[in-house]
Amino acid sequence: MAEFYSQLFNGLVLGLLFGVIALGFMLILGVMEVINFTHGALFAIGAYFALTLQPYLGYWASLIIAPLVVGIIGLFIEWSAVRRVYGKDPLFGLLMTLGMAMAFEEIIRIFWGKIGYSIAAPKFVAGPIDLGFIWYSKYRLFMAALALVLIGLVWIFLEKTPYGAIIKAGVSDSEMVLALGKNLRRIRTVVFGLGAALAGIAGVIAGPMWSLKPTMGWEVLMPAFVIVVIGGIGSFWGALIGGLIVGLSKSLSILVWPRLSDLSMYLIMAIVLVARPRGLMGQKSLLEQ
Amino acid sequence: MVRYFRHPMFITFAVFLILPAFIMRLGGMTLAIEVMIWVIFVMGFNILLGYTGLPSFGHGLFFGTGAYIFGLIQQNIIAGTWIPILGSMLFCGMIAGIVGLFLARKRGIYFALLTIALTQMFFFIAFLWDGVTGGENGLMGIERYPLTLFGLFSIPIEGILSYYYFVFVILMVSLILLWKIVHSPLGSVLYATKQNEVRAKYLGYNAVLYKWIALVISGIFPGLAGALYAMLMHGAFANPMHWTKSGDAVMMVLVGGGLNNFFGPILGAAIFIALRDIISSITENWYLFYGLLIVFIILFLPEGILGYFRVGHASGREQVVEEV
Repeated sequence: MAEFYSQLFNGLVLGLLFGVIALGFMLILGVMEVINFTHGALFAIGAYFALTLQPYLGYWASLIIAPLVVGIIGLFIEWSAVRRVYGKDPLFGLLMTLGMAMAFEEIIRIFWGKIGYSIAAPKFVAGPIDLGFIWYSKYRLFMAALALVLIGLVWIFLEKTPYGAIIKAGVSDSEMVLALGKNLRRIRTVVFGLGAALAGIAGVIAGPMWSLKPTMGWEVLMPAFVIVVIGGIGSFWGALIGGLIVGLSKSLSILVWPRLSDLSMYLIMAIVLVARPRGLMGQKSLLEQ
Repeated sequence: MVRYFRHPMFITFAVFLILPAFIMRLGGMTLAIEVMIWVIFVMGFNILLGYTGLPSFGHGLFFGTGAYIFGLIQQNIIAGTWIPILGSMLFCGMIAGIVGLFLARKRGIYFALLTIALTQMFFFIAFLWDGVTGGENGLMGIERYPLTLFGLFSIPIEGILSYYYFVFVILMVSLILLWKIVHSPLGSVLYATKQNEVRAKYLGYNAVLYKWIALVISGIFPGLAGALYAMLMHGAFANPMHWTKSGDAVMMVLVGGGLNNFFGPILGAAIFIALRDIISSITENWYLFYGLLIVFIILFLPEGILGYFRVGHASGREQVVEEV
């Protein structure tokens, strides 16, 4: 039973982290209509920045600074290249960000080398804690708390600020937002930066749990795709629920048949697609046209 | 007569016909066969991508499946060449038909997202189901049996040169077939669906059905290519089913002639495979150059190389661009 509980907790923690990653991915997908392949690479870069910065700045400062730098990289990507493919064949944005993601992977390999690293958990949450029924890693609980805070912040931003209202409107109909006189160009740049920063901070948070290697970005990119398909495009709660489903399926399937772990989320996705083609929380969206 | 000789199709056939004379001694035969196989794959795929306008990122699925099915039929049912090839094509067409039931109603970016996720699902199935597919090691021991027809004659294709010409003949037949499809009424409807699906519907065409047909066609040819690839490598592997390989196919279309060019993929496949071979032998970081090249092409050569020189654009059709 202890193994079940610990896998359950692992799944929830992983699911919340996936939720953060998928939210950023989905915001960009919704507002820009671009499948952002660099999302995984930005996650990896966030983790690597944390690796380099933490010895000098400590945990908290690098938790703020690394995502900021990644956000700035995101702004640069959008400003320099991605904005040139808006409104063109969806393939272009997809391929362009795929090309960048490949380049980023190699850049990581050049700067940090091929070998894997691991980051030590910060001192105040190192080691396990006795929860009564199991001993569980303090850092993972801390991760879950951080992820929840982030998800809460994104929710407040989207639901309670005028900027969030514009972004949500942009997800459902970007042309109408333009027609209403909003500066769509700037909104898109900001959203891209924001999404990138979310990927970056997820990378920093995940660092001590993940093993850092140049290809780590692809390990979160695919779950992000699947989460968006399961949850439905453009739905905040869909991304969160999808994230939890994917996280739980990945860890709980280890109990049944370890090799199923990689496949399980795709099987769930296939079932969801058959039952609800737009995803669990998805509504009819302009992206289908 | 002259106009036939200047036709890109004739030039293509002529080049591939005499190519072995130049590269046989350089040892580039395997590479040249690989190019021809990719041409079959990518041109069949382009029926969907270019002519129907559905951005699939998952056609490596059919390439990989075609290879597996070829090997499985050859090793378990009949030790020949033709039946396994036909079986591969049929099976891939069937998978495309089933997957198409879900995909044909989708469009644009959501279509792309779904194809990536679905192909990755099949990749993991192939990878994990090692009792059938050989898992990580692949399905080994695929043979190139002599070609026979009702026991009348027997042509060995085990040698690299004879296999080259075997693939060459299949390439010719495939290209002529695809040319016929593109220039048939069916091709026109597909192209109309791409330009304006709503208008095609109002003209009385069942757009979803036609998109489904395009999907099936675009599944069959990669299946054929996969079977040929299995014969070339003497094995079938999960790797081609990874979505990045499907990305390579999309790149070959774009590099060659953009989305509206029948012959673009031939040039694209040749350049892509040659570049990959050259750059990856010079540097370890081939993906850095490949990635930057993709960005460069999207930014500056969205119509591909042939499009840049205004060759064969949209097969002579008027391109109607709808500005949004």
